[in-house]
Amino acid sequence: MNRKRSFVSLLLASSFVVLAVSGILAFLLPFSIQIVGLHALMGFLFVAVIVFHIANNYGHLSRYSRSRILVATLGITLVSTLLFFWQPEPVKKVLGLSRNLGPAQDRFEMVEEGLVYRYSPAPHYKMALTVRAGKSFASEAPPHVAIWLENASFYHIKTLRAPENEGEGRAALPYWDFKLRGWEKAREEAEEAGKSLQEKMEEADLDAVSGATQNSSFDPADYILPADPDNPMPYRLVLEIDSPDDDLPSLVYAVEVDNADPRAFQLLELVGYPAREEEDEEGKETWALYYVDYSDEKFAPVLELVDSALLQIDRETRGE
Amino acid sequence: MNPQEEATDRRKFLQTGLAGTAGIGLAAASTTSVAIADEEKASISPEETNEVDVLVVGGGTAGHVAAIQAARAGAKTLLVERNSQLGGTTTTGGVAFPGLFDAWGRQVIAGIGWELVKESVELDGGTLPDFAKVPQRHWQNQVYTNQFLYAILAEEKCAEAGVQIAFYEFPQAIKKTDEGWEVDCVGFGTNRRVRCKQVIDCTGGAEVVGMAGFSRLREEERQPGSYLFMMGKEHQPGRNQIHRLYVHGADSTNSRTATQANLTGRKTILAKVRKEKKRLMHLQPETGFRESYRIEGETLITVNDYTSGRLFEDAISYAFYPVDLHTKTGVKPKPLKRGVVPTIPLGALIPKDSRDIIVAGRCLSSDRLANSGLRVQASCMGMGQAAGVAAALAAKAGSTPMEVPLAEIHALLKEHGQIIPGQA
Repeated sequence: MNRKRSFVSLLLASSFVVLAVSGILAFLLPFSIQIVGLHALMGFLFVAVIVFHIANNYGHLSRYSRSRILVATLGITLVSTLLFFWQPEPVKKVLGLSRNLGPAQDRFEMVEEGLVYRYSPAPHYKMALTVRAGKSFASEAPPHVAIWLENASFYHIKTLRAPENEGEGRAALPYWDFKLRGWEKAREEAEEAGKSLQEKMEEADLDAVSGATQNSSFDPADYILPADPDNPMPYRLVLEIDSPDDDLPSLVYAVEVDNADPRAFQLLELVGYPAREEEDEEGKETWALYYVDYSDEKFAPVLELVDSALLQIDRETRGE
Repeated sequence: MNPQEEATDRRKFLQTGLAGTAGIGLAAASTTSVAIADEEKASISPEETNEVDVLVVGGGTAGHVAAIQAARAGAKTLLVERNSQLGGTTTTGGVAFPGLFDAWGRQVIAGIGWELVKESVELDGGTLPDFAKVPQRHWQNQVYTNQFLYAILAEEKCAEAGVQIAFYEFPQAIKKTDEGWEVDCVGFGTNRRVRCKQVIDCTGGAEVVGMAGFSRLREEERQPGSYLFMMGKEHQPGRNQIHRLYVHGADSTNSRTATQANLTGRKTILAKVRKEKKRLMHLQPETGFRESYRIEGETLITVNDYTSGRLFEDAISYAFYPVDLHTKTGVKPKPLKRGVVPTIPLGALIPKDSRDIIVAGRCLSSDRLANSGLRVQASCMGMGQAAGVAAALAAKAGSTPMEVPLAEIHALLKEHGQIIPGQA
């Protein structure tokens, strides 16, 4: 009997440790199916072991349930459940510390017609990007693809889809790689300086002529699921694509998404091809996009990689 | 040496000596070269009368281009400017980075404005933006020019084209005549009566149009002006931008409102110098104004026309810039959608029910939001050239700009290097 009780208690304790650590990691880190999966499945095991634990300790529990403490514990549980479910502003602020943008679900499929990327950061916000294959799109040697979001100041805020092979992908998609590295570096520097990324970037960015372009937030949730629906911030969804077996440049397509002017579907437009600039006096690496010269035949195969890229956003109107 | 030669030499000596004496302080700090103003052309009599084909009022961003174009088209042209140099916002205002001449990877505004900008950059050893590059922000394709050089080059182009320039003058009265207009201008020590066939109003706020009694539009609140200066570090003309501060309520309507804007701007800069304890390295002589009056024209350009890139039937120039309305809290430029290039119709330059008068520049007939994108330099240069062509052709034909066949305007604009909307 004692051995059985010990087994159940120790299993409960060890599974709880995994559950707690994976829960904290799921909160702190960007969405990861490994961590969330570990947490969820370990949770099922924990629940199963709990059944035995309750059976082993039924006598004690039965005594507890007859005391006044039961009312207090049920009260606390009920209040916590309501608070965490309805999420008033202070709770939202705590959740805002998470780098896991809610129960994000993304799915990337290479299909014969091209590729489909689905992203649903919230039940009422479903995004689908459908890239229809052009003549030179070979599904047996699929292109490198990166999809990311930029804020109004053209800063990377979130990579939605990194290429399958990150090493090769970074080389094949230099514009995404450049943007991502800039964002990673800025984030590290901001952390070292004890500032938010937004503060750090605003310091570095001296705008000109027409005054400041909105530098805005670096939190993707502020764009996709703005806390203040009356002040939504436009953002850009950018796609870089490159055919693996040629020396031609990659192409960058983009579309601006403005939740203040919601559209169910929008076509991405070709912005240009990336080219590295000469390093400036400080030796800072910069990449720029160049207009594609349609009359230049060298661009013909790469232009035929994509027939069209359609972004669909399904925003369910929530009842007030 | 004969007596005549001796007299000439003596005169030269006196001129050089007098100029040298007067300029001792300057010469020590700058140069040993001494320039002598042409005495024959500078009359000391206060009364002056001119009969010209085209009178251009305002030598700013649109005005000097309009004058050069009218003169190049064969019209006898007089250019009246209230300040001491040409170029307006580009030079006196210090916004020496005109734009935008390109849109979506191709040039959309060329002609005389571009000729001047390009030449000034070349002469200054500067560089043009790489127009093949997709600009992340609209101002990246504005062209850094040396404002001082630009002003002198504009004068040279005027002289070569045969434009007569009258600085420090402004119209005080305008009267319609059978042949066109009689305009009385006043400057210090000068009362000038101008009889002309056509007037091109490039005053920014359509001041001549207002004086002639045509209807104008005005908002209750204007966009702030910008006072440009450089503090703490060296000003490199033609290489970068300088500091600027908003002057709220800045209004270029008359000398009193302009004075107020300048006093406010400079007072604020002085306070900034005291507070930040940095050296003031450069200061423009005047506020750059964004908004005052607009004309009520034969055609009104709406923001929908502008943002949709409507190709007007009587389009005479392209324009390209985001919708860019500055307010007390700053500005959030709204870029145009990919591929959109707005156009400017001739009718937006013609005051409603008028004859023999045309405008160019930020006072064109447009709603406020459209105007916030149309008001910029390259677009004003494009309008200036079109107005110069229309006025010169009207003066030649004895008609009015709105009656000049559009094909003739397009042909002459093309001949002078401008890009015609819908034909590029």
